[in-house]
This record gives sequence, C-alpha cells and structure tokens, in this order.
Amino acid sequence: MIKVKNLYKKFDDLEVLNGIDEHISKGEVVVVIGPSGSGKSTFLRCLNLLEEVTKGDIYVDDELITAPGVNVNKVRQKMGMVFQHFNLFPHLTIMENITLAPTLLKKMTKEEAVKKGQELLERVGLAEKADAYPAQLSGGQKQRVAIARALAMNPEIMLFDEPTSALDPEMVGEVLEVMKDLAKSGMTMVIVTHEMGFAREVASRVLFMDQGVVMESGRPEEIFSNPQNERTKLFLSKVL
Amino acid sequence: MAWFNNWLTDFCDTFSKCFIKDDRYMLLVDGIGVTIKVSLFAVVLGVLIGLLIALCNLSKNKVLRLIGGIYTDVIRGTPSVTQLMIIYFVIFAKVHWYKWIIAAIAFGINSGAYVSEIIRAGILSIDRGQTEAGRSLGLSGYQTMVHIVIPQAVKNIFPALCNEFIVLIKETAIVGYVGLVDIQKAGDYIKSNTFEAFMPLIGTAIIYYVLIKILTLALGRVESKLRESEVR
Repeated sequence: MIKVKNLYKKFDDLEVLNGIDEHISKGEVVVVIGPSGSGKSTFLRCLNLLEEVTKGDIYVDDELITAPGVNVNKVRQKMGMVFQHFNLFPHLTIMENITLAPTLLKKMTKEEAVKKGQELLERVGLAEKADAYPAQLSGGQKQRVAIARALAMNPEIMLFDEPTSALDPEMVGEVLEVMKDLAKSGMTMVIVTHEMGFAREVASRVLFMDQGVVMESGRPEEIFSNPQNERTKLFLSKVL
Repeated sequence: MAWFNNWLTDFCDTFSKCFIKDDRYMLLVDGIGVTIKVSLFAVVLGVLIGLLIALCNLSKNKVLRLIGGIYTDVIRGTPSVTQLMIIYFVIFAKVHWYKWIIAAIAFGINSGAYVSEIIRAGILSIDRGQTEAGRSLGLSGYQTMVHIVIPQAVKNIFPALCNEFIVLIKETAIVGYVGLVDIQKAGDYIKSNTFEAFMPLIGTAIIYYVLIKILTLALGRVESKLRESEVR
C-alpha cells in the first residue's frame, strides 16, 4: 500500500531522514517509536507530502506520489491525518469541522456528509457534541473529533502524529480506545507515539527510528522483549 | 453679567454669519457628503487592494512577492498628498470621471498598502497547524485560505482595519488639493468668505469628531458581534 524507497529529508543543513526503505501493507498497524529528534514525525509527514521530500520515492497504491506534477490534493484525500495539537477549526462547529472537506471536495452532498458525520461522532462517542464549538471540548474530545474529521473523507490510510502527547493523562485512554477500534476494523494505520503499552497491544509491527533511519523493525513482542539493536535496547531501557 | 450677554450676542452673530447667512451650512452639508463618499469608496477599494497585495506578499512566487514589496514600499514612502496629486493631475489627467471617484481611487491605492500589512499580519497570526489540517484533508491551498484561514484571520484583523478606516477619513481632508469641497474645504471657504477663523475651523473639527465617534461606536458593535461566535 505504501512503499518508501531511499527517503532523504534535509531542513537546510539539518539531515533529518537518512535513507528510509519501508513497505507498509494494507491493514497493517505500524507504530513508529524512537527518541525525539529521530525523524519519526518528519517521516510520517513525508508520507502525505506535508513535508517536501529531499530525495527518494514514495509510492501509494503503486502511484509514485513524489513525482513532479502529481495531484497532491488527490493523494492526500486517501490519507487521513491526526495531529498532536488536534488542529480543529475553531470557527466551525464540530459537525462543520467534519463535513467541510467532504462537501467542498464534492465527495458527498451536504446531507450525506451530515449523515456520515453523525455516524462518525457516534463511533467516537460524541454524538451529542455536533453543534458545539471546538473550544467547548476537552482535549480528549477534540482529538476524537479530529479522528472523526479525518475518517469523513473515507481514507484508506490513517496517519497519527503523536495523537496523545498533548493530552492530560486521564484523557489519553479515550483516544487510544478509538484508535484501537479503528485498528480492529482493519484500517491501515501509521502511528508515531510514545505510548509503549499501546504499541505493544495494537501494533502489527513496530519501527524503531533513530538518527533518521529505521534501526529495527519487527513484531511488537520481538521489539519489546528481545530487541536486537543496541540503540533499541538503550531506548527501551529508558522508556519501559 | 453684561460681559456674558455681550459675548453671547457676539457668538450668535458670528455663528449666524458663518453658518446661517447665505445658506453657508449647505457647504458643510455637501462637504460631509463628499467626505463620506470618498472615504467609503476608498475603504472598499483599499481592502480589496490590500487583500490582493497581502496575498502577493505571502505567495511563494518571487515575482508576486516583488510586486507586493514594491507597492507597499513606494506607497508608504511617499506622502499621500503627493500621491493624490500625481493620480489626479498626471495619471487621470485625461480622464473625465467624477472628481470624487478619482480621489477615492487615490485614497484606496494609498490605504491598500497599509491594509495589506494588516491583513498579512492577520493571516500569519493563524497557526500553521490550521493550514496543515486543511491541506491534509485534501483541500487545495486556495480552499484552505478561503474556508479556514481567512475566516479566522478576519476577527484578528477587524480592529486594526477599523483604525485604518478612521485614519482614512481624516486623511481625506486633503482632497481640497484637487478641487473637491469636503468638510475641511467647506470650512476653509467659510473662513475666507467671512474672515472668521475660530467658528468655521472649530465647526469643521466638531463635524469630523462626531462623524468618527458615530463610526467608532458602530464598528465597536460589529466587533462584539464577531466575537460572539467565539465561545471560550
């Protein structure tokens, strides 16, 4: 579903990604872990081209999305993204947040979008908040809305960029619950997170990144119980 | 009390000489009309030009950024009287439109440079995450700007824009330079016809003050309406 070949990313002189080769198949839940500054978020943001790739190829559904002239907007419609700071639109109600993109992009009529929005809000347990504004919600609720908003476009892939890092501890659970549900439904997911417990439970594969490369990759029980790479061992000894 | 009676009679005489006799107040009434027409037209034009120039300045395209940069630089670097006269006597020399329209165009062009900076700052004040969220959903840069960034920026921009409008009204007091009779020029005529300075000039000042007071109060209402949708 996603193929990454020899991916490099530089910010001016700062080399953030130093050659990543990765293959993510349909239905996989890939959790990316690693110390801060290791390039995990940048890697994720490259996947939907929020960051311009310096060198290398990314294929989504066998389409080379890093080629010049590719319709970036079309590509992004296949990929939902959830941000650390939610980034809900504060001037729109919860329902409008969810229906904006599908209606603007003519994927659905207004009625279809609202119906879909209702379903999604029910799914994330916020049906009664449709007419509220983002400022009236708690952090955990905001993030659940953000997930619903991304799902409204019927994406094939969901990208999560540290979705629980900005939340109060007691709200982390509700967001992870929604993500677990999503994983169970067979959604292809790439998740950057510091929640090791969640990674162990939900991931079909864990990537450990450091210094802009994938140091180690494998099933969660392999990575967490029997890491091979020295850097992985050191990192896990600090966070577990 | 005699001095007071004398003063009062004096005051009434001058007042009637300046404003009542020969229907001189009509000069001022017409002047108010001219000031309002020029200001309103100019503010609309200024916002349109300002938005355009702001988008140029924020664009990734180097040529557009250069155009926007030069525009702001030249307009801010020259006096508005000079600009008004250049536009009236040079650029529109052969064009026979209503004088007030040409003057309004001049003020609109002038105001646009300042408005563009206000709008640019307003747009930049919106968190990058908003743009990223819009783009990540597959919206184009234009759709993101129109549906997500600008509606939020408007609230931040509005107070500064009101201020610019007020500055603009006062700025129009120089239209006399191109032969338009606005409030200022009307007061000036009365002054030279009656050889009275105090009454017409203070009158002019009071008219401007009241106009701007009314506007400030009205805009203040609009602003609090805008803030109402902001539930915190």
